[in-house]
Amino acid sequence: MTQNLELTDIQGNIVKAYGAFNFTKARYLFLRIDNGDKGREFVGAVTTKVTSAVRWEKNSMPVATTNIGFTFSGLQALELPTASLMGFPEEFVMGMKGRKDILGDDGPSDPMYWDKIWQETVHIWLSINGQSIEAVDERYQWILKQIEASDGGVTLLTGHRGEKDEDNLPYQDASVLYDAEGKPTPKEHFGYTDGIGDAVFEGQTNIQARVLGRGKLTRSGHWEPLATGEFLLGHVDEAMDYPQTAPTPKLLAHNGTYMVYRKLHENVGSFNRFLDEQSKVFPGSKELLAAKFSGRWRDNGAPVVNAPDDASKAEWDKNYAAADFAGQKKMLIDFTYNDDIDGAKCPISAHIRRINPRGSLEYGVKDAYERPGALVDRRRILRRGLPYGKVKDPTRDDGNHGIIFMALNADIKRQFEFVQQQWINYANDFKEGNDKEVLLGNHDAKNPGKVVFQVEKGSGKAPHFVNNIPRLIEARGGDYFFIPSITALKMIAGGIVDPT
Amino acid sequence: MATKSGNATALTVLSPIKNGIMDDLSFADITRERCLRLPIHEKSPIARVPNTYLARLFVLDDVVYESLPGSDSVFNFSDITSFFSDTARKDALPRKDRLQSKYLVFSSNFYGDLDAYLTGVWEKWAYDDYGIQRDVRYIWEHCVAFDQVNDCSDFIGYIKKCQLDASLFFNGSTDDSLQEQLKSLYLKQEFTRFVVAHQGKSAAEIQQDFKEFVKRVQPENLNGPSWQPGQSMP
Repeated sequence: MTQNLELTDIQGNIVKAYGAFNFTKARYLFLRIDNGDKGREFVGAVTTKVTSAVRWEKNSMPVATTNIGFTFSGLQALELPTASLMGFPEEFVMGMKGRKDILGDDGPSDPMYWDKIWQETVHIWLSINGQSIEAVDERYQWILKQIEASDGGVTLLTGHRGEKDEDNLPYQDASVLYDAEGKPTPKEHFGYTDGIGDAVFEGQTNIQARVLGRGKLTRSGHWEPLATGEFLLGHVDEAMDYPQTAPTPKLLAHNGTYMVYRKLHENVGSFNRFLDEQSKVFPGSKELLAAKFSGRWRDNGAPVVNAPDDASKAEWDKNYAAADFAGQKKMLIDFTYNDDIDGAKCPISAHIRRINPRGSLEYGVKDAYERPGALVDRRRILRRGLPYGKVKDPTRDDGNHGIIFMALNADIKRQFEFVQQQWINYANDFKEGNDKEVLLGNHDAKNPGKVVFQVEKGSGKAPHFVNNIPRLIEARGGDYFFIPSITALKMIAGGIVDPT
Repeated sequence: MATKSGNATALTVLSPIKNGIMDDLSFADITRERCLRLPIHEKSPIARVPNTYLARLFVLDDVVYESLPGSDSVFNFSDITSFFSDTARKDALPRKDRLQSKYLVFSSNFYGDLDAYLTGVWEKWAYDDYGIQRDVRYIWEHCVAFDQVNDCSDFIGYIKKCQLDASLFFNGSTDDSLQEQLKSLYLKQEFTRFVVAHQGKSAAEIQQDFKEFVKRVQPENLNGPSWQPGQSMP
């Protein structure tokens, strides 16, 4: 039986990556609720514009979308019944700042250095994605009117850092990056192509074409969509159970999920210097080295496991150019590390291998687990988000540019936090000691990290060590949000959440 | 259960703490506070005891045990028949059992044999407790009959009386001596640094520097440059 999702009830950002639908601009707003009654009224008003997951036909696509989520203190401020509040999981109640030790938000990523807005209590997250900045602004103006109409019920919080050294903006803007001709690109500020291999789960549309490399690996080497409950509350998950993170009543949780919002600053100057410095001693091109950091080549996202050196990349590019659209997609996503258990092709500390090791945690021991990805399938997240800011001087770290990273999952602790703590900032599962993931790891300036690029056994070559890895990504803010279903939004707005 | 695994020994000690109070505090709470105040890492008294791989100290408040029903065929039978008296039937119901006192639990994994290790505990266990020097007697002070421990051999005898057969081995350790393991970790770390620093250099240069490296790290010398027990920073 295939799962039929209630698309009209689920918020659209959970099921769709708006970026893939030509929504090139986004604006994120954060609000505080000052009055429960008026705050609920505001939520009710916004709910009328909340974008559902319903399928868009060519001519029914909106020019702007709106989605909404709440922190734990936001739900308190909306006066949810105590019995409902008590059903939320510990990490959500604590919020992102309270989890800094788990997340490795230390040194320059410490919450004390985050944007000013995060020094305040945030209750509501509101997102606008638009096909143009005008469409975003129009929806923004509409929201401002609702805030105005709330008559002191909610306050739009200021304190985002901006382009021109402002530190008190009332919103966070994000946008795709454009190439020299002004065409939108899927790049981020380090030059990598982002968002290729997002997880696919049961109930999403067009599964057959998308599930390769993105779902779960079966014993026979096929890909199947992950269980819906990994990403939506109220549905069965990979453990054949309902997610344990759902509050009561059932309707409050059903078709909702949790979202991690993180503003990640990219130290572009450090990255460029580090890449230059390391490429002097690396046996291969600078682009190959950059590819080994991430697991994908920067220019077109070619998986380095299938194009592990400059010669094979040229071959891969030739095949890619000759392939049709579906064939190209397949080349980008349909791969495993089964023939690269030691990480000679794609280093074990490369970004995409750490985030999603596919079947490689079996270490080539066939049937070590029930499924090759048994240790991976419960640790997947849906990634959303866009770059923000512009790099004014590629030799410098300062400024305001990076990625607005959003992760959706049914269990923040089991999924997002586990990946961040165990797979990005630590490597015991990968048999790599305490080597951190190259790009996202919280590398310590006092004890700079290293990673090892293994070589093919019997090749007679020496493994390559990448050392002196600086902190390339710094957290600049964020929190954990509950993304309710549209039914639940109406219940919250109406003050009729009843856990009895 | 075996308490040896190769050269490694697992020691589990449960020492009953006296029931009673002193200055409005129970002996158990005093003992617990002393455990909680122990310095950690390099300053831990346990780091000074030779060959400790990993050790823990805590106070066990209680272990509630409820027997399984129907474990005895006669009483099981009595439970489902009504021709015994109600008292007999109730007697057959699961029993609860509790500890008679609180226990100080010391669980340690170490290299070598027990007597040598406990001699080390008696002689080397020392730490600075907010300005006052303490030895091992301070932790066990309020345990039953510990006042009769006057020297090392009494201590060994006492601990052996409190010893439990247990085999909780610390997975992160081999069964080599602690010095051997610390030296190995030190060498691994230093060698990684050497490799990183010499990547891409000529074989002659690497060989030359490697000789210097060996001279500096002294692989055979366990007393030479190494990590310290309890070391928390690289």
